[in-house]
Amino acid sequence: MEKIGLQTIKFSNPVTILETASIVGPKEADGPIAKYFDQCLDDEFWGEKTWEKAESKIIKETVNMAITKSKIPAQDIDFCFAGDLLNQCISSSFGLRELNIPFFGIFGACSTFVEGLCLGSVFIDGNGANNVICAASSHFCSAEKQFRFPLELGNQRPPTAQWTVTGSRMCIPY
Amino acid sequence: MKPLDTKKDYQNYVDKKSPNSPIFKNCFNAFWVGGLICSIGQIIMDFCKFRGLDKTLSSTIVSIILIFISAFLTGLNLFNKIGKFAGAGSLVPITGFANSIVSPAMEYKSEGYVMGVGAKMFTVAGPVLVFGISASILVGIVYLIFNTQSITLV
Repeated sequence: MEKIGLQTIKFSNPVTILETASIVGPKEADGPIAKYFDQCLDDEFWGEKTWEKAESKIIKETVNMAITKSKIPAQDIDFCFAGDLLNQCISSSFGLRELNIPFFGIFGACSTFVEGLCLGSVFIDGNGANNVICAASSHFCSAEKQFRFPLELGNQRPPTAQWTVTGSRMCIPY
Repeated sequence: MKPLDTKKDYQNYVDKKSPNSPIFKNCFNAFWVGGLICSIGQIIMDFCKFRGLDKTLSSTIVSIILIFISAFLTGLNLFNKIGKFAGAGSLVPITGFANSIVSPAMEYKSEGYVMGVGAKMFTVAGPVLVFGISASILVGIVYLIFNTQSITLV
């Protein structure tokens, strides 16, 4: 690979995406692209006691779903690049620790997924890896809890207020 | 779409495209819900006075009842629906203050009772308490100065 200009890398072996998976929350399931998600949840808890645990479960199940779809066993995946919004990327690191895949926790907020793709591709093109996982996770309730106001607070949001996504997405480039 | 050159151009573009809050509707809802809450408080106060309680005790009872109702509705996850509708109407009276303490307490229960509920209970109400009490101290000091001064002048 070589660097072109200020912020472009050109790969000698094109990296491709093998498989993807996504799980989203109820609000996303009501949206216009609902049919493209692999699984839509009914509520934000998914049987867990806290939102952080729910977010961990979402990313764990997403990764397992993609690994199953790709038919590559988890032992053959070389690295995992994942991140979320919380302190210490705690939901991704706790959710994916049982995978036993070397884990790079990354933080890029909304750009985490593409950041993972860039880094994973560099690893693959540089012959550091054959298969990697790139994942990103987000949960409206846990993000509101950490960054904004408690959900039960009776404040009014303006019409342009943004709503953090509840969902997780991952893909396996090779 | 023509290219946007400056930050000001972009801000103008965003303002043009963003939907405005329905101000009249929000003000009207805040007005009648806030008025209703205060009327309920007044009814309770008149009832207490009717039963022979003095003014201070009646107003304390009004506060207690309104705080209880607000905390109870917050616990049932209903107060935030009222708040979305009424805005300042439910947030400005004492009901909003109670909600602002109960909601973080509920949210942080998952982190334990001491470090979660205990430590984080005042995250929303904290600034209200700090600046409200500080302002009242300043007012008290001003009152003390001017009150003493007026006595010495006489």
